[in-house]
Amino acid sequence: MTQATTPALAGMLSPWARFWLNNKGTIIGCGILVVLMIVFPFTASSTAMNIVVFAMIFALPAIGLNLLMGLAGQVSLGQAAFFAIGAYTHAIMLTKLHLPGPVAATIGVLAAMLVAFLVGLPIMRLRGHYLALATLGLGFIVMIGVREWDVTGRTTGIYGIARPTVLGVPIDNNGFFLWFLTPFVVIGLILALNLTRSRAGRALSAVNDSELAAESLGVNTYALRLKVFVLSAGFAGLGGVFYAYQVAIVSPATAEFHLSVSILLMVVIGGLGSVWGAVAGAFLVQFLGEGMRDAIPAIFPGATGEVQLLGYGIVLILVILLLPGGLHQAATSLWAKLPFPGRRPPADAHAQATEDDFTIPILPNVSTPVALGEPILEISGLTKRYGGVVAVNEVNLTVPAGTILGLIGPNGAGKTTCFNMISGALVPTSGTVTFLGQVISGRKPNVAASHGLTRTFQNLQVFTSTDVVGNVYMGRYRQGTAGVLRGMLGLQSAEQTAHRAAAYEILESMRLTDAADDSASDLSFGKQRMMEVCRALAAEPALLLLDEPMAGLSGAEREVMAELLRRLRSAGLTIVLVEHDVAQVMSLADHVAVLDDGVLIAHGDPESVRNDPAVVVAYLGTDLDEAEADLNELEEHV
Amino acid sequence: MLTDFLQLTVAGLSQGSVYALLAVGLIAVYTVRHVINIAQGEFAMLAGLGSAWLTASGMPLFLAILVAILTVTLVAIAMERLIIARVKKLTPLISIILTLGVSTLLQAIMLLIWGPEAKGVPRFPGTNVLIGGVSIRSQEFWMIGALVVVGGGIVLFYEKSRWGKALRACAEQPVAARIVGISPVAASVLAFAIAGLVGAVAGVVSSPIYLSLWSGGVLLGLKGFVAAVLGGFVSFRAAIVGALMLGMIEAYVAGYVASGLRDGAAFLILILVLVVRPQGLVLKPTAVRV
Repeated sequence: MTQATTPALAGMLSPWARFWLNNKGTIIGCGILVVLMIVFPFTASSTAMNIVVFAMIFALPAIGLNLLMGLAGQVSLGQAAFFAIGAYTHAIMLTKLHLPGPVAATIGVLAAMLVAFLVGLPIMRLRGHYLALATLGLGFIVMIGVREWDVTGRTTGIYGIARPTVLGVPIDNNGFFLWFLTPFVVIGLILALNLTRSRAGRALSAVNDSELAAESLGVNTYALRLKVFVLSAGFAGLGGVFYAYQVAIVSPATAEFHLSVSILLMVVIGGLGSVWGAVAGAFLVQFLGEGMRDAIPAIFPGATGEVQLLGYGIVLILVILLLPGGLHQAATSLWAKLPFPGRRPPADAHAQATEDDFTIPILPNVSTPVALGEPILEISGLTKRYGGVVAVNEVNLTVPAGTILGLIGPNGAGKTTCFNMISGALVPTSGTVTFLGQVISGRKPNVAASHGLTRTFQNLQVFTSTDVVGNVYMGRYRQGTAGVLRGMLGLQSAEQTAHRAAAYEILESMRLTDAADDSASDLSFGKQRMMEVCRALAAEPALLLLDEPMAGLSGAEREVMAELLRRLRSAGLTIVLVEHDVAQVMSLADHVAVLDDGVLIAHGDPESVRNDPAVVVAYLGTDLDEAEADLNELEEHV
Repeated sequence: MLTDFLQLTVAGLSQGSVYALLAVGLIAVYTVRHVINIAQGEFAMLAGLGSAWLTASGMPLFLAILVAILTVTLVAIAMERLIIARVKKLTPLISIILTLGVSTLLQAIMLLIWGPEAKGVPRFPGTNVLIGGVSIRSQEFWMIGALVVVGGGIVLFYEKSRWGKALRACAEQPVAARIVGISPVAASVLAFAIAGLVGAVAGVVSSPIYLSLWSGGVLLGLKGFVAAVLGGFVSFRAAIVGALMLGMIEAYVAGYVASGLRDGAAFLILILVLVVRPQGLVLKPTAVRV
């Protein structure tokens, strides 16, 4: 969530005040954690100290896994494998090559990231369950590998790892070790928190809401997910490095599947997508595990081994069934119930614009890469077959820049299929789509977006986990430049503020400013559709594809939409729209193309298409006279 | 030379039969619920340890096996009713966490009841056979036979019976399935019952040779998953062929390379298949992305 600073307010503040406002939560949270960790060694028993040290060590892989699950929407069942790779590499560098600690640790972290990169390269292309099972397999591979390899000490492992020395002080007790470890955990925490609020983090959260819409706005899902996966392995590797220091022995047990389960449990208890939750989860699971190891042998005499798994299994199931958002969900719902002065009452999202004023207050920017009238989009021989069914058959169309093309046709004529092939959501069976001289068909939607083509969807693709302005802000994705690294370092607040201001402006063009801070899922259907158009416009496209932009809109809203489209065309934007409201298309479009049964049966100016006998027959039935009568009647009513 | 090869092939085929049964269970659940059941391997271990315990306490072998298989089938149904059915929106993420929770819980229960040591069911009746220098243990006949009878039976059920066809339809066409007279609830229960049944059969027939261990189910389930991936997660036949191939490859790796590396083969095959043909061995590639 972005902290509540309106753009106007932020502009008046000093940089320090703005920094404080934007990072209040992180600063307070980390401050409390640091104070606790400083005080803890003076007050805690040695047992509790031990648990806290391990909780802090495992907080690192948990933060990493939380990023992967919360942002990339993927599960790793092999987080322990990366933990083990970090630990083993670090241990080998220290004991065999006698490298200095910081160098050995860095190599350990990089090794974990490298393996994640190699595994992720093929697997992150696939969706669903594959990453989970591939990482599960990786865990076994790593365990087999370290058991069979002389360098890793086979079943004995590697021992004799010396404790580190900082400024001449040997870190030889748990208290010192906690102080040695805490800065790294805090830095990791801050980097992860920054990432979730960054351009990349928002993009990934949008991908989880609607992959199709996010890709259509230019998000390269695959690359971002791969980066997050590599990053999450880096966190695990760092945890392994500290584990090797703390335990002084690295054995095949570090790659155990059950360790991966406990790291997963930390994330699930804490709440998917909540970085603080992962840290809290690490503490809870360590205490739970310790408690279970004491309690279970007392209840079941003779029980030995990994008995804490009983608790892990039960808690995993119960949290998902009863509290799927984990501690984070519990905390936020509790917070919302507290009386809190100055909290804004939720606005009425369904308030209707009453005045009959259809003027457009602000016109969004558009890009005009080619001269007016030059071809911007060329479709040739576009065909889509599903088995024996031909959905779109050999369609040829050229769209000149700065015009509106209306694509009409009866239900099932193949209009949306055509759209999906143009935007990259669907791979054509044959034929090509050329946009600004580049062939974009058969590529992913983010490729088309990167050339300046955006679209809206017939079945709305709203980013439900953010507010209205957040949706439009995602449209600015391509205008931003900050990558994962800059996002983690928090070096993009100026860029974010500017894009947020731009998002507010675009909302004003559709008179949606009042609803800007409402949850996107609370909007009426028509308003959601208008928001999607704003989102597409935020990308400052050269070509806008609108799939039934008028559906679900009130009469007044339709007039605003039509006026906006006309003004955008005057500004040089090229628009292709699929629409059922034929009268609206006829009055808006410069050219109209008619699809019937996947075949382009007419293409020309509205007047000639209206009088084309084939169109009339296709549209309104077989009897030509009757159809004409119907059409006239229809137009009189509009 | 040839004798060694054939000997390894027999071992691989019998082990592969176990993977094939697990793959059948995974696919049965996946086609209906789109859930990858991480607890599939635990069904096998539960049945193996259960029948080992029953026979050790004096129950006749085949009665013990029958009791264990029925119990595990009921456990699978209970898992569906009490846990899986309670989640409204089963995303891949949620289904993995949930079935992992069940897997962990079942492991812990087995550990508490039967302890950390591996246990085996007594050998099934029969005599070992020696053909041209290749010895085939009677238990290996039972393992392959279990695949032919139970696995083959399930495939026939799916392809020939009305209920089986409805189950297949359920994944894509819940309404059509309802018209044939099978509700989505019944389909889901039936799918889990099949998963429990085949898992339990795999567990008891392999236990005399390969033993049953409280924590052994995850790796076994993963092998079943690899086989299911080879079948594109929809085709029983392709998955069974894939499972037998996987069993043989593992046997060759163990025999010719190093026995410690045998479990690594499955993972490498998994990665290779996912890179080269993520849609499995038999299906045509599809281009649909929406």
